[in-house]
Amino acid sequence: MKGLPGKKWMLGGLSVVLVFAMGCAKKELVKSTGTGPGAAVSAETPTGKPGEIVTETLKPEAPAGPSDMAGKQMAMAGIAATQEKPSLFEDIHFDFDKSFIREDAKPVLQKVAEYLKKNPGASLLVEGHCDERGTAEYNIALGERRAASAKSYLVSLGVKGGALSTVSFGEEKPADPGHNEEAWARNRRAHIVLK
Amino acid sequence: MIRYAGALLLSLGILLLPSVSGAVLYIDINAPGGKRMPIALPDFVVTAGDASLGRDLPETIAGDLAMTSLFDVIARPAYLERIVPGHFGGKPLSFPDWKMIGAEAVVIGKVEVRGETMTAEMRLYDATLGNLMAGKKYTGSVRGYRKVAHKFANEVLFAFTGIRGIFDTEIAFSARPGTGRGKEIYLIGLDGRDLRPVTDNRSFNLFPRWSPDGERLAYTSYRTGVPQIYLRNLADGKDRIVAQHGNSKSPGSFSPSGDSLYVTLSVEGNSDIYRAMLNGPGLQMVVGGWGIEVSPSVSPDGKSVAFVSNRGGSPQIYVKDFGSSAERRISRAGGYSTSPSWSPAGDRIAFTSFSEGKYSIFTVRPDGSDQRLVLSGNGDCVDPSFSPDGRYLVYTFRKNGYSELKISSVDGRWQRGLFKGLSGAGSPSWSPRR
Repeated sequence: MKGLPGKKWMLGGLSVVLVFAMGCAKKELVKSTGTGPGAAVSAETPTGKPGEIVTETLKPEAPAGPSDMAGKQMAMAGIAATQEKPSLFEDIHFDFDKSFIREDAKPVLQKVAEYLKKNPGASLLVEGHCDERGTAEYNIALGERRAASAKSYLVSLGVKGGALSTVSFGEEKPADPGHNEEAWARNRRAHIVLK
Repeated sequence: MIRYAGALLLSLGILLLPSVSGAVLYIDINAPGGKRMPIALPDFVVTAGDASLGRDLPETIAGDLAMTSLFDVIARPAYLERIVPGHFGGKPLSFPDWKMIGAEAVVIGKVEVRGETMTAEMRLYDATLGNLMAGKKYTGSVRGYRKVAHKFANEVLFAFTGIRGIFDTEIAFSARPGTGRGKEIYLIGLDGRDLRPVTDNRSFNLFPRWSPDGERLAYTSYRTGVPQIYLRNLADGKDRIVAQHGNSKSPGSFSPSGDSLYVTLSVEGNSDIYRAMLNGPGLQMVVGGWGIEVSPSVSPDGKSVAFVSNRGGSPQIYVKDFGSSAERRISRAGGYSTSPSWSPAGDRIAFTSFSEGKYSIFTVRPDGSDQRLVLSGNGDCVDPSFSPDGRYLVYTFRKNGYSELKISSVDGRWQRGLFKGLSGAGSPSWSPRR
C-alpha cells in the first residue's frame, strides 16, 4: 500500500490536466479505429441527437412465404426427390472424397449396361451421394462427380449417353442413418434407378 | 494502470460533456478488456397490451447488449425506482436511486398496443449526468414486437461506441421440419426467437444466401425433382428461377451491388463457378477447371472471390482477384478446407477445415497470412457465416447426427447457442442490415 498516496495525487493531477485539455469543445463522432474488424464498415444511422425523441415507423412484417407447392404434380416430384427410390441394381460405392470407379463397382455397372442392351427404350437416372462428413455444398459437387463417373463408365461399356441422366443429392439422402465408418461407406454411393 | 485510467477517462468524459450535440466515445469497442458499462433495464410500462411485453422487451435488449461484452446489466431485484407513464411526460427519473445501485445508464420504455399496432417509446439516460442520450418512438405491427427492442439496442450501442449495431439482423438456415425427409429454409432472430419458414414444399431446400439489400434470398430447391436456384422476394413471397444451366446448382454470394449472383453450376459432372446476371440473361464462367470448383464468396468490394477447389488433390480455399488470372491458395490448416465466408468488413475470410480429427472454423487474411483457429469443440464446427459488421460468426455445430446453430464473437469473448429445435439444421447465412 506504500505507493498509494502518491498514485492518488498523480491521478488527481492527471484529472486536472485533462479537465483543461478537454474543455467543453464539441467532440467529433468517433467511429471505430482501423484496428478493429468493423473498421471498413461505415454506416448511416437514423439516431437523432441526444435530448430528442425520434419517431420511426417500422415497415410491416413480410408475410410468411406462401406455400410454394405450385401444382400437385410438381409437388409430388419434389417430395419424391426426398424419398429413396427402389432400384433393380445394387448401389456402387466410392472411396472417401473420391469419384473413381472401384473394381467392386464394375460388375454392377456391367449388369446395368446389359439391362439397357436388353431394354433399349429404358431411361436411367444415376444419383450421386456422399457420406455426412465434410460440408454440404462441397458434397453436392462430389455427388455430381460420382454420378458423372458412373455414367461415363457405362458409356464406355457401350451405353448411349442419352439413356442416362444424373443428379446429385450430396449428403442429404443417406442410405444408412448411422454415424460410423460402416454407415459412411454405404452412403458414398451411386444409386441407379429407372426414370 | 491502463484500466484505471480508462475508467477515470470514462467518468471524466461524462462529467465534461453535459449537453454537446456531438457524440462522445464512452466505450472504445476495439479496446480489449476494460470496464463494462453498468446499465439498468427496468420493466417497460405497458399502458395497453399484453403485460408480458413489459418484461420481454427490456430482456431482449439485455440479451442483445450481452453479445458485445461491453455492458453489465444490473439485476432487476436491485432496482429502487419503479417506472411509470409520467416518466415519459416530463417527470424526471430519480437518478440518485440508479446511481446508488451502480447504474451509469438506464433504459426505460413505454408500450401501447391498439389492435395490430404497437407504439413503443424507449429512452436511454446517462444516470451520472442525468440527461437523455437517445430516445426513439417506434410504431409498427405488434406481431414483430421484438424488432423494436433490437433496434433500440442498436441505438444504445451507437450512443456508447459510435458503432452501428446488428441486433435486428437475422439468420437464414436450412433444417428438417420433422415431417418427411425434406428440408425447408427458415429465418430466425439473433436471440433465437421469431422462427418462421420461408419455404413449404417438402422437398430439399438448401443453401439460403442473402441479397445485399436483405430483401431477397437465393437458395437451391429440389421441388421440381431436380435442383434449381430460386430467388425469393421476401416481401411478396414470390420466387424466380436463376441460372438454368447444368445439373447441380447452388448459390454462393451476391455481388455487392446486388446485380448478380455468383453460383456453382455443374456440367457433365464438373462443378465450376459462374456469375449470373439478375437483370438480364447473362451467365459467365468465373472460375473453371477440371477439378471441383465450388462455394464462391465475394469480397465486400466486389473485386475478389474466395472459393473451394480440389485441383491440388484435396479441397482447399483459393482467392481470385477479378481481372487477374492468378488464383492463390489461402488455406493451410489441414487436408480438407471448405465453406469460405468473406467478412463484410473485408479483412478476413472464415472457413471450415478438417484438422486433428475434426472439423473446426478458422479465419485467415485474404492474402493467406495470419491463419487462426477460432471455433473448435467436442464435435464438428462447420459452415461459418459472418455478421454484417464482421464481428460475429454463425455456424453449425454437429456431432453424430445432432446439429445446432451457434453464434460467437470472432475474438472468442462471447458465444451462445442460437437454435436446435429442428434436426439437420445447417447452412446458416447472416442477413445484412436492412
